[in-house]
Amino acid sequence: MTYELANSSDFPAEKRRAKGIAPMKAFRQFAAWHTIAPPLVFFAMLLVVGIFNPNYLGPFGISIVAATAAPILLVAVGQAMVLNIGSIDLSNAAISMLGAILLALWVPQLGVAGILGVLVLMTLVGALNGFVLAHTQVPSFALTLGTLGILQTAALVISDSQTIYLTQNRELVTAFYNTSLAFVPLTFWIGVLVAVAYWVLLRFTVVGQNMTAVGKNESGAILSAVPHRRIKTITFAVSGFTGAVAGLCIVAQGGSASASGLGSNLLLPGIAAALVGGTSISGGLTNPLNVIFGALTVAFVPIAIQALGFSAQAQSLVYGIFIILVVALTTTRTRGLVIK
Amino acid sequence: MTSAIPPVLKLTNVSRSFGKVKAVNNVSLTIARGEVIGLTGENGAGKSTLLKILAGIERPDEGTMEINGKPANFRSPNDAFRAGVGVVHQEQSLFTNLSVAENIALQNQDRSGLSRFGIRNWGEINRNASAVLDKIGVKLSPRARVGDLSFVDRQMVEIARAVCVEPGKDATPLIILDEPTAVLEQAEVEVLEREIRKLRRFASVIFVSHRLDEVLRICDRVVVMRHGSLTSDRSTEGVTKQDLFKAMVDDAPVAVTRARAATPAQSTPAIEARGLTVNGKFRDISFAVHPGRITALVGTNGSGRGALMRTLFGAGKPDAGTLLVNGQEVSNWSIRKAVAAGLAYVPAERKVEGMIGGYSGTRNIAMVHRQTAMVGPLLHPGRMARTAQTWFDRLDVNPNDITQPLDQFSGGNQQKVVLAKWLNSPDLRVLMLDHPLRGLDVGVSQAVNAQIREACKNGTAVVLIPDTIEEALDMADEILVLRDGQISARHDLSSGSDLAIKEIVAEMI
Amino acid sequence: MQSILSRSIKGPIGLIVSILVLIVIFSILNPRFGSIENLQNVLYQASVPLIVVVGATLVIQMGSIDLSVEGVMGASGMAWILLSPNTRHALDLGPWAWVIAIGLGLGLGLLSGLVHAKLKVPSFVVTLGTWYVGLGIAILLYGNGMLPSLTSEALARWPSRLSLGLPNSFWLAAVVILGGILASNYTGFGRGVLAVGNNETIARGGGMAVDRIKIAAFTVAGCLSGLAGILATMQLGSGSPDIGFGQLFTVIPAAVIAGTALGGGEGGVLRSILGVFLLIILNNGLVLAGVDPDFQSGVFGAILIVAIVAVAWPTRGALKVAK
Repeated sequence: MTYELANSSDFPAEKRRAKGIAPMKAFRQFAAWHTIAPPLVFFAMLLVVGIFNPNYLGPFGISIVAATAAPILLVAVGQAMVLNIGSIDLSNAAISMLGAILLALWVPQLGVAGILGVLVLMTLVGALNGFVLAHTQVPSFALTLGTLGILQTAALVISDSQTIYLTQNRELVTAFYNTSLAFVPLTFWIGVLVAVAYWVLLRFTVVGQNMTAVGKNESGAILSAVPHRRIKTITFAVSGFTGAVAGLCIVAQGGSASASGLGSNLLLPGIAAALVGGTSISGGLTNPLNVIFGALTVAFVPIAIQALGFSAQAQSLVYGIFIILVVALTTTRTRGLVIK
Repeated sequence: MTSAIPPVLKLTNVSRSFGKVKAVNNVSLTIARGEVIGLTGENGAGKSTLLKILAGIERPDEGTMEINGKPANFRSPNDAFRAGVGVVHQEQSLFTNLSVAENIALQNQDRSGLSRFGIRNWGEINRNASAVLDKIGVKLSPRARVGDLSFVDRQMVEIARAVCVEPGKDATPLIILDEPTAVLEQAEVEVLEREIRKLRRFASVIFVSHRLDEVLRICDRVVVMRHGSLTSDRSTEGVTKQDLFKAMVDDAPVAVTRARAATPAQSTPAIEARGLTVNGKFRDISFAVHPGRITALVGTNGSGRGALMRTLFGAGKPDAGTLLVNGQEVSNWSIRKAVAAGLAYVPAERKVEGMIGGYSGTRNIAMVHRQTAMVGPLLHPGRMARTAQTWFDRLDVNPNDITQPLDQFSGGNQQKVVLAKWLNSPDLRVLMLDHPLRGLDVGVSQAVNAQIREACKNGTAVVLIPDTIEEALDMADEILVLRDGQISARHDLSSGSDLAIKEIVAEMI
Repeated sequence: MQSILSRSIKGPIGLIVSILVLIVIFSILNPRFGSIENLQNVLYQASVPLIVVVGATLVIQMGSIDLSVEGVMGASGMAWILLSPNTRHALDLGPWAWVIAIGLGLGLGLLSGLVHAKLKVPSFVVTLGTWYVGLGIAILLYGNGMLPSLTSEALARWPSRLSLGLPNSFWLAAVVILGGILASNYTGFGRGVLAVGNNETIARGGGMAVDRIKIAAFTVAGCLSGLAGILATMQLGSGSPDIGFGQLFTVIPAAVIAGTALGGGEGGVLRSILGVFLLIILNNGLVLAGVDPDFQSGVFGAILIVAIVAVAWPTRGALKVAK
């Protein structure tokens, strides 16, 4: 006869909630932190660099930073979309790498069709990630770690461990880097465009609303008839697509691609940029526009390190510390929640 | 001290309040050595809180507690354990990947000899476990992996663990069994009953159960709680189930206060189950709900009514039987198909399943039915807000702020928004609610019930899992009583007969 | 089919059979595979991942993950070689080089453990951070100078020298494995790891020091990664920040195919050892059969995916939430 009158165990919970009103307010202010912190951190970074090395604030400096930031930004907005649904994509930097190699191989013969082909193929790779994830319910970091391994091998084998130079149709791709708009190369503007598009997707479309819902509360979303499997597939496809565009930026900048060259180490800067851009590692919170600031901040890291008199080799260390710090600061800690 | 042996447990005027609610109100209770006490009462009667006080999880606001003649002031479950109170909780708390012996040893970490210089002494651990298992007369290998054991055997391991308490020389352990039979099959219950009888050779036992016939069979004395107080404390000798019902329930037959909708002669049922079965949850469930009628599913927590409702909503796959929605047989039923067919489901776990806590009221309401908020493929924020504002006003949601994240609202206001999300349907055929009033105060409860009736008046069929039988009698046109996964009784309230609560209670257990 | 697959993946018998099948196939493909030298070579190659997998297994048994392996190996290996006789400078701290290098691994592991347990940050993010912190330390230590190579013949030869017919590298790994098995089966820590992995809520409720167990597990994993970094550096004879490259792809698939489910609470050190052997033999055999070594991370990545999917498949549910 367990028909609950008013489940007595509910009372302590109610009490906790009542007590929790003050922290709740604090949390709201904290949540606002996500919206203003990314530009603030960026301008602080700019200030540091400006004091130590004012050259970087001129047209030349801006164009260099923006060029460095472009692939990071693209990988980061893709990662932000995946983090937003509560997963992580460890393979998206490898997707850019493979994408860059395929571009360098295909564009000379196929031209624009080669670019489109790479975009479609890498989107499919991402979608496959999402499809397997959604239908087998394995942890995303493990699945995408596996994909990462496969893509690395594919990149090595396809390029035969060589640097592939764009022999023909070079301008078709490099124009994205060589053309500038307000001192900033087109590659970065593409990143901004993609970020804006994702912002619109999240804010104004049902798919975007459902993505964030899955990230905030997957069970709740499923019981509100959200097609969660399709949403996950689409999200990873989006990450794959953006990864391929990042690959395009890499080739545009260098005119070549290799498995160990420019952009082979985008995974961590990408995650760092997404997190610095206010994306929550536990899902349900991201703003692609802020990720732009996150990417710029991260792109400034090596410059700032040098401006402060350290070796540029401290980059990895700083990215690592960045991730730990930002996540430690922004993770919401619910008592009693089991974190694996 | 007198020459008499002190009682194992002596509670004097113990109270515990949560906010304004006195969960345990001035309870005094004495348990003698070797006595088996049955503790029963409705959910919310205060049993759980009383048990938590005994187990050292909650501390009483007032009153004193003595264990084996010594005053007890537990600060933690470990204090209670050391004083000789062993608890078998309702939820099993065993590590399924470890052996029986190790599970027993983990409870018992202060005991010497089980490890030496931090190194486990497996011989001693297994011997100790064998000794404990022998003591309670259970034949289980200490080396068996708990995950490989049957449910009742695991329950035995739980008991063995509780029995490990060492209250000291000449003192008697107090073993508390919190609804140990709730999920057991009949044959398993018999095994468990035998074990409990064995326990009294060396321990006193508090046996908490809703199954009154079991309580009467096993226990020497039975104690009934209602609204936090003890309403009955007597020997089981000569007591009948009817006597206990009277002590448990406010015994007023509920008057039929409103006209009930009768089954319409020739309308198609909005939803109909034929022989619906989910293995292990419920079987052979057949019923139909017509538009404009409210059907309440009444039963215990283990009766399968929650699982039944989820299956109707497409959140679980039936193993057998057919489901008809609006007269059409459905196949490959899913949540998305259900919602497209005009079904709605308000889950019991509001925060986890009912809503997207981090989303505003606006977004929550736009989660399901958002046709009015669309401009082409895009969501129109202004229209979304307008819809939300309409519902916030209609349901008087407080604070009236459609942009605030829903997890910052009180439970009642959250429930209003959850309801609004489903009511915002252009064509709501079936509304299913699992414990819609859980944790809500009277005012909000009335508002929610008013909305349910309103939807019903507009031709929606309602399936309701109520918190209480009173709620069922108040709301429903038809009551289905579920017991152990099957429908044990049907009451059509439109026929006008008065129905007493205790009659329904008797059908539930 | 599903149940057979997952059972064969869980049971050690299945692993042993798979290893035997691989050995038979590769022996047929290339007679050199079965030679004593090659078997010694397999043991030599396996010793680094064997050391790492002991720590990784403890962490995965808790339901967490340690992605920092490669970075920690880089930091410790680089610290060790710069404090041992090398071509850069004459500084030689002897045994203290070991202490400091393993201490560095310990520190990084402790950092992961503390941030994960105390600040409740998911382990995969923290250890992703520590990975790069370790890698960064290695790169900074490496600096712009010349390649540091071991100048001591005794040290450079030690890993490959045979004792009782087996390479010293393997003996070192064997000691670690033995320690791991003892810790896992006979200490409160090892059993606590299993209990936490099985059900953390119950473990906390039962008064277990869950945070301490978590921190300890990550610290042990850090120490072992550090030791593995030293051994790998010795095997190579010179320092490289990338000394751990590819280890993550050996260790995690090895643990998972050996039945250490990523959800925690299952598997064991001994089984993970078999998993490592399976992968190393597979790799060795493929290389001998003429397959490009570049395929290694791809093959291991594919194995990882198949293994996690096979383990997760039977427990799928309509409402199960997977992140």
